Amino acid sequence: MDILIYGTINSIALALMALGFALVYGISRVPNFAHGAIYVLSGFITWTLLNSFGVPYALSILITMVLIGILGAVLYQFVLIRVRGMAISEIIASYAIGLAILEGLRWGGFKGMSYTLPVFIEGSVIVVGIPVDYQRMVVVGLGILIVVVLWAFTHFTRIGLALRGMAQDERAALMLGIDSDIMALVSMAIGAMLAGLAGAVLLPLGNIVVESGYNVLILAIAVCIVGGLGSWVGAVLAAFLIGFAQILTVVYLGSHYQMVVALLAIILTLILRPSGLFGMQKELEERV
Amino acid sequence: MKMKGIGILAALTAVVFLVLPGAYALAEKPITLGCPLSTAYLYGWDAERGIQLAVDEVNAAGGVNVGGIKRPFKVEVLDTRDLEPGVPVSEALLAVEKLILEKKADFLVGGPVRSEAALAAMGLLSKYKKVAIFTTGFLSPKFHAIVAKNYDKFKYGFRIHGEAVQLVKEIMACFQEIQGKYGLNKVFIMVQDVAHARGGGKVLGKVAARKGWQVLGTEIYPTGTTDFSMGLIKAKKAGAQILNIWMDMPESSILLKQWYDMRLPALPFGSTLAAAEQPSFWKATEGKGEYTLCNVVNAGNAPSNATPWTMKFYDAYAKKWGVEPEGLGSSSSYMAVYVLKDAIERAGSLDSEKVVAALEKTDMMGVYGRIRFDPKNHQIIPSFDPKEGAVGSILQWQDGKRVVVFPKSIAAGEILLPPWMKK
Repeated sequence: MDILIYGTINSIALALMALGFALVYGISRVPNFAHGAIYVLSGFITWTLLNSFGVPYALSILITMVLIGILGAVLYQFVLIRVRGMAISEIIASYAIGLAILEGLRWGGFKGMSYTLPVFIEGSVIVVGIPVDYQRMVVVGLGILIVVVLWAFTHFTRIGLALRGMAQDERAALMLGIDSDIMALVSMAIGAMLAGLAGAVLLPLGNIVVESGYNVLILAIAVCIVGGLGSWVGAVLAAFLIGFAQILTVVYLGSHYQMVVALLAIILTLILRPSGLFGMQKELEERV
Repeated sequence: MKMKGIGILAALTAVVFLVLPGAYALAEKPITLGCPLSTAYLYGWDAERGIQLAVDEVNAAGGVNVGGIKRPFKVEVLDTRDLEPGVPVSEALLAVEKLILEKKADFLVGGPVRSEAALAAMGLLSKYKKVAIFTTGFLSPKFHAIVAKNYDKFKYGFRIHGEAVQLVKEIMACFQEIQGKYGLNKVFIMVQDVAHARGGGKVLGKVAARKGWQVLGTEIYPTGTTDFSMGLIKAKKAGAQILNIWMDMPESSILLKQWYDMRLPALPFGSTLAAAEQPSFWKATEGKGEYTLCNVVNAGNAPSNATPWTMKFYDAYAKKWGVEPEGLGSSSSYMAVYVLKDAIERAGSLDSEKVVAALEKTDMMGVYGRIRFDPKNHQIIPSFDPKEGAVGSILQWQDGKRVVVFPKSIAAGEILLPPWMKK
């Protein structure tokens, strides 16, 4: 039962970490290697608002979301737009931005363990004999909610439909009057906000450390490669595959093999099925 | 008028006599202390602060008497990054070599911090015949084994703090105390995937089993792990009563938060537990880390009256840096500067061979007791009694404070159990 409970929690946490990356790539085809840095930065912004400016916690998270969304849009408009379509340049540029953010934070003194965010709800509950803290239940609830909201957004709103159009065929979308650059900018903003939201809900489980940025990026890439780059459905499914595989590894092999699971998943997918579970070779619509 | 003139002359003479020795010392060529430290991490910055504090004190008192000439110390710090996950040992070695060749360090004090990096750096000490005092984080027992085995090659290295085997002895003695008081005898070991922690955990497991403890399992975590829940559930299922933790990563505070959230009926006992050593631990865990025990290796890293110098150092550190001594490298790094000063003055020279010989004869009362090195392996001589040797320190977080609970000779309180463990 502990495998089922913590496997589900771990999987949803992975999905939360990866959704922003998958969304940006799915729409703009830009692999945002600054994703992990944005995740960590959002945590530090919330911490600063909460502790240095005394802003209430919920409002701090809200302001962080807005700021991070603007940051995502700015990064696209002033950096990534110039290299869009050049895959290697996109990777180099976005990774450089991520490095600058993370190492800049470290240089600025954001190091050590004193940067923590409070949990949303204090305490824990025993589920079938297994202790689970309320914050992890929030992770599960919010993870499901985000998937539902994203689905509804991309199926029932004009912007969402335009984003889907972009993801399916950029040239066709252009012919229908959809501005691809605006949509890519919107996708970067939403992707950054999703990274920020993941940070807001996951970081209270631990503390905010610069190194998390690199881990989150690796996990997001692993999830997206296994799921098929650009496919949200694939990303969610891959999150469950990797999430459960990690927990099973911890239980039967040991915790120090946990990270190997994600890396092994990348290697095996690239060897056996380079497009991933729901990648380019699948129905285009499945990507959104 | 004449009296006024004499007064001014007397005052000037006094100023000259009082100030000149210090000023003269500062005018002399400084003795450069190269400090290779992982500065973004606790065991790096606490050592840097300890070294800087001691250097400031020594320089303010006139400097180091080298064969009749007073010379000041100068600190050169380079970041080895060796505590960061994924950073190769070669980074630390580059920093060490740069300190020797570019910064012209006369001596090395501090790290490298990670045992793997420090052991690798010993080859460089031989190559450049550079005396180094290791002061922080380097806990592997391989150090003194290597020096003893190949003395001529590795004699330039000294370690001024406790090491893993001594830590295990102290922890086992403390375990026995807990067993006697509360009847606990089941231990679950959680270690970080680094040399000193793996080695320490393994040794502790063996020793504990020999002494009749039930060792229920060992869980190894990669550096940077942020979720310990499955390991904690394993420990709970196994019926653990003590969680023995060997981790120097800041993420170890998460482990304690998760331990509290699960109300796990096992007393957390950090053999090395960087998070719990720091005064900011209480805030970082929002008080959830209460009852955590933690070995801070040497006295002075937590408040106690081990020697008359202990609280003097403690208060000076807190005054200078605005925070109490934070980690296992604070008091030892501070003492290393005074020990080196003493050795240089006795040697009357900066010559490596002479300073090595002088360091081997070191015998002084310091912050954490009597400081002496074993002349055969250059490891500081430990003791449970500060009058006899370097005394360790195990603290417990109680009501927001770090209370030293072991050894008895310097303890300021008793070991307590969390309320959910009381029968």
